[in-house]
Amino acid sequence: MRIEEHPILSFNKGKKVNFVFDGKTYEGCEGEPIAAALHAAGIMVLGHSHNKQRPRGFYCAIGNCSSCLMVVNGQPNVRVCTEKLQEGMVVETQVGKGDLK
Amino acid sequence: MLEKTGVATEQDLQKAIPSKERLAKGPVAIIECFQRIPCNPCYTSCKKGAIKEFEDINDTPEINVEICNGCAVCVSNCPGLSIVVVDETYSEQEALVKIPYEFLPLPEEGSFVTGLDREGKAVCRAKVVKVLNTKAMDRTPIVSLAVPKDLSMTVRFMKLNDIYSDNTFVCRCEELTMGELRELIRKGFNTIDEIKRISRAGMGPCQGRTCRQLIMQELAAATGAKMSEMPISTFRPPVKPIKLGTIAGGADHE
Amino acid sequence: MITTELAIIGGGPAGLSAAISAASLGAKVILIDRSENLGGQLIKQTHMFFGSQKQYASIRGVDIAGILMKDLEKYQDSIEIMLDATVISVYEDGVIAVEQNEKYIKIKPQSIIVATGASEKFLTFPNNDLPGIYGAGAVQTLMNVHGVAPGKNVVMVGAGNIGLIVSYQLMQAGINVKAILDASPKIGGYLVHASKIRRMGIPILTSHTVKYAHGNNKLEKVTLCRLDEKWQQVPGSEFDIETDVLCISVGLSPLTELLWQQGCEMKYVPELGGHVPVRNDNLETSIKGIYVAGDVAGVEEASSAMVEGRLAGLCAAKALGYNSPDLEDKKNDCLEQLNSLRSGHVGEKIRSGLSKVTV
Repeated sequence: MRIEEHPILSFNKGKKVNFVFDGKTYEGCEGEPIAAALHAAGIMVLGHSHNKQRPRGFYCAIGNCSSCLMVVNGQPNVRVCTEKLQEGMVVETQVGKGDLK
Repeated sequence: MLEKTGVATEQDLQKAIPSKERLAKGPVAIIECFQRIPCNPCYTSCKKGAIKEFEDINDTPEINVEICNGCAVCVSNCPGLSIVVVDETYSEQEALVKIPYEFLPLPEEGSFVTGLDREGKAVCRAKVVKVLNTKAMDRTPIVSLAVPKDLSMTVRFMKLNDIYSDNTFVCRCEELTMGELRELIRKGFNTIDEIKRISRAGMGPCQGRTCRQLIMQELAAATGAKMSEMPISTFRPPVKPIKLGTIAGGADHE
Repeated sequence: MITTELAIIGGGPAGLSAAISAASLGAKVILIDRSENLGGQLIKQTHMFFGSQKQYASIRGVDIAGILMKDLEKYQDSIEIMLDATVISVYEDGVIAVEQNEKYIKIKPQSIIVATGASEKFLTFPNNDLPGIYGAGAVQTLMNVHGVAPGKNVVMVGAGNIGLIVSYQLMQAGINVKAILDASPKIGGYLVHASKIRRMGIPILTSHTVKYAHGNNKLEKVTLCRLDEKWQQVPGSEFDIETDVLCISVGLSPLTELLWQQGCEMKYVPELGGHVPVRNDNLETSIKGIYVAGDVAGVEEASSAMVEGRLAGLCAAKALGYNSPDLEDKKNDCLEQLNSLRSGHVGEKIRSGLSKVTV
């Protein structure tokens, strides 16, 4: 959910772009973190932990905790809380520790 | 206890509430800031010099209520939003409480909102008399609420929810709301004719067909008068709006 | 290898202020920050700051960042700014390694000011790793920087200033805060913040904690319980609140990795948030030429971080050989400001902590 009006802030968002998450197309704003775009689309589960397969969302949102690792454009272990969204990005839930292709 | 609950106690408030005599003289700032923290914008923003200079930045504010004229500049400058202005001279039954309100949407002037106490409990209906939102206030608008006088030291916030349905329209033609009607009844306009003359309800194009019954019901509820015994207003022609030309040209049709 | 006189790591309130004051004396500065913009956490603060005019009291944090950035522009000839640049290590020979856009860059400065800030602490209870359980700072970033709501309802853990302020900001963004709880029997943040939240009808449950988080794949409900005077859970006092977001604001710990790498003498001081560097009055650590400012030196308010930054900048520039006739006055002014910010009852903890690490 996006915050449409705010008593103090105005948000200068980038232009609308499409990206693919696990095979489905979503809309986000260019330049915002991938995690923000996913969250705005109601997606809170970003992946699962390697050993116990626990669902994982982000925790710190500023690149400290690495709780939000995903596969972006084929590259695993991308921290999506800081990685910026671009048109046509392919974002996937990461299984395990990720494979280098 | 303030430290445990975040709500000031009677004892805390004693230090902040001015005397009855001062309140009777006009608007005054009430500073509900009871903890020593490093902060002094109330002092630096007061152009009247009513707030004493801080010797130590951690001092709690001291206000000279005889100098304070209730201008409310400090209200939107206080980082803790702990200051309100109270004006008990607003009207005979009501006091004005000016609160900082940093939320959207802002209430509309003339509308009715719910007055909340320091714990967020609904305590009364409150009329929004003014919404000030100047550039100098830097996104901390001040909302002036008219509240029953005995609640001037109780109401400290508001919510837009209209739990008393005060914003309900009673008269569609003249746009009289339930809250406005209730206000008139409180002021002593106790018959349908008096209400009609002061508010124009019943004098619009529908000639009271929509509002008459509702006004009578509210009068009955507020004053205990029986609807069957209520004096009704005078019905004068025409009973529906017609063109003046129709009347003027009446002879032709006779 | 890039060389410079002064490298400042972190462009938050402390680092920005340090860069401005060092450059004002003439020092050549490289200011490095890992995010795409300067200002650190200031840009997320929609509330008016406390303090006095010297620390920009009554101005909103986000606007203070703007003021500092403007000041910085005055010295653009002597300050080089590196954004999206993370310092990944500071080696023993004083070389800083920076990762920027997948490039590895080495910088050899004569002095360093470490102003890396702090990171959020975590809390233990079953299912504390469910999606929907976020740090309070994370929620602030999501809603105040990116304009995205974290969820519909929030339960806030921690009634310190961050917990109280973020709760208020959530309400401003149209998100419902169901309750704020804190294990302590007393509200830790400023009581005026607490009072303005209570006026909105949000309960503050002191002596309460989270016992359990529930949810299938993501957070749906939390079980809270009361704590007794010995901070032990009271059996039978459990109750549930349905919520999709639980915000954790139980304090910060200084981000000191780079200081450890350098071999700075460190001490564990709980009052300051954890391990912090031993420093002198000039904010210089046990290693000559390495200074600290802001939360990395001990978790405190942004107001004091800015003053510390100013002070560290002045001292570092002076040690590099720069001077000005009013330098001592400026330094003393910083020290006085810090003293006054810390002099009250709420500064007691900070004072006690600092007395253990200042030599």
